Amino acid sequence: MAHQLVVILDFGSQYTQLIARRIREQAVYCEIHPYTISVDKLRALQPAAIVLSGGPSSVYDTDAPTMSAAVYDLGVPVLGICYGAQLTAKLLGGEVHSADKREYGRAMIRVSASDSPLLKGIATDSDVPVWMSHGDHVAQLPAGFAQTASSANCPMTAFENRERRIFCVQFHPEVVHTPCGAQLLGNFLFGITKLAGDWSMASFVDEAVAKIRAQVGVDGRAGLIRRLPQR
Amino acid sequence: MLRKGEREYVATIFRDHFKVDLRVIDAEDRFLDALANCTDPERKRKIIGAEFIAVFDQQSQTIENARFLAQGTLYPDVIESVSTKGPSHVIKSHHNVGGLPEHMKLALVEPLRELFKDEVRQLGLELGLPRHMVWRQPFPGPGLAVRCLGPLTRERLHVLREADAIIEQEIRAAGLYDDIWQSFGVLLPVRSVGVMGDARTYEEALALRAVHSKDGMTADWVQLPYDLLARISNRVINEVRGINRVVYDITSKPPGTIEWE
Repeated sequence: MAHQLVVILDFGSQYTQLIARRIREQAVYCEIHPYTISVDKLRALQPAAIVLSGGPSSVYDTDAPTMSAAVYDLGVPVLGICYGAQLTAKLLGGEVHSADKREYGRAMIRVSASDSPLLKGIATDSDVPVWMSHGDHVAQLPAGFAQTASSANCPMTAFENRERRIFCVQFHPEVVHTPCGAQLLGNFLFGITKLAGDWSMASFVDEAVAKIRAQVGVDGRAGLIRRLPQR
Repeated sequence: MLRKGEREYVATIFRDHFKVDLRVIDAEDRFLDALANCTDPERKRKIIGAEFIAVFDQQSQTIENARFLAQGTLYPDVIESVSTKGPSHVIKSHHNVGGLPEHMKLALVEPLRELFKDEVRQLGLELGLPRHMVWRQPFPGPGLAVRCLGPLTRERLHVLREADAIIEQEIRAAGLYDDIWQSFGVLLPVRSVGVMGDARTYEEALALRAVHSKDGMTADWVQLPYDLLARISNRVINEVRGINRVVYDITSKPPGTIEWE
């Protein structure tokens, strides 16, 4: 009864739990792990996809949270959000700058790549509102990446390497103030990663009962959980 | 420390629906003795926690072969979160058995540790639990003790319990119970003068609290309809002896907290 797993690497964003909830709402199981997890441990979890959270640091801070670039070679799609996007740019050879104007709150973006699998279904002929919260921004993309959306303040608002299935957004799709966020996450989970959407409380019941039985034994004392007659 | 009718409600659910050999221990005297003259919120919580464990320990010794403790730990308590705890502070939940004494050696069963609160509610519905139970508003561990400010006595707890029951009834009758994160009364150790039926009264005040929240982290006070506020105030003052004034708490979190203690 194993279900597919998406791993969220937490770089300290106040929104990390929101990312998890938005993914679970789309019937996909996910777990949050600290960014310090080793690549071996991460591989052993057999994630179907990895999401890099935002975070309060600047990638050029001393002691800025970072990870091994080997994460991008695990062969699974990666979605970098905010700090996760900047870190991706830095680790793969791009450049991150401190912006002239910091950008907090609502911003308008324009999708420039109508064929982006991540931005599919999001309007390309008008500005789209999103939630931003960043000081730094990506100034130069790593080789192999293409820009897919921009804002007045942040030209590299979204960029991707389709071949390696690495997708990055500077804004926060997980907050309600980004109305297209659910569409974007859905594109990542189902369009790009081809997940089955196999996480539901119905399937969880059987799994949990089996787990409890295994732990407690079936001597009759573990009979607490059972489906009650529906009324 | 429970709400009105709560003990019977829980006993019915466990005995009749789950068919579990539930033991209900009445430790009211013990709690009240330990809490006598205690008004400090932190001490109150500590005393209640310690007494709870003492009673639990004592009772579990009367059950042969008890080896497991089922606990409702949720995912937010489990996440090794960088933002709140830092990567070096890994929570090891099996070291954190609610402060139970070492000699009990109970293994933890935590079936909900991967779930968020809203998922637990879905799970409850999936298991066929009564809606009424699944959508119960959160209630603090120390119970009414932290909603009864000042000294805790049997009488004051009774007053609060009665008032709280009226609040719940009226909020439910208005169809608002499921939309509100928490709604309850707080009994204040403040007396004021009133007049009822030509007689002077000098009784305590009840603060009504109702908040909207998504996760308990931030909260806004609810703009309850005036006629509902009027009904609650009217019924509490008429029906509960010991309260002659009702006030409405219009503080958000932050800067306030949801509970008063």
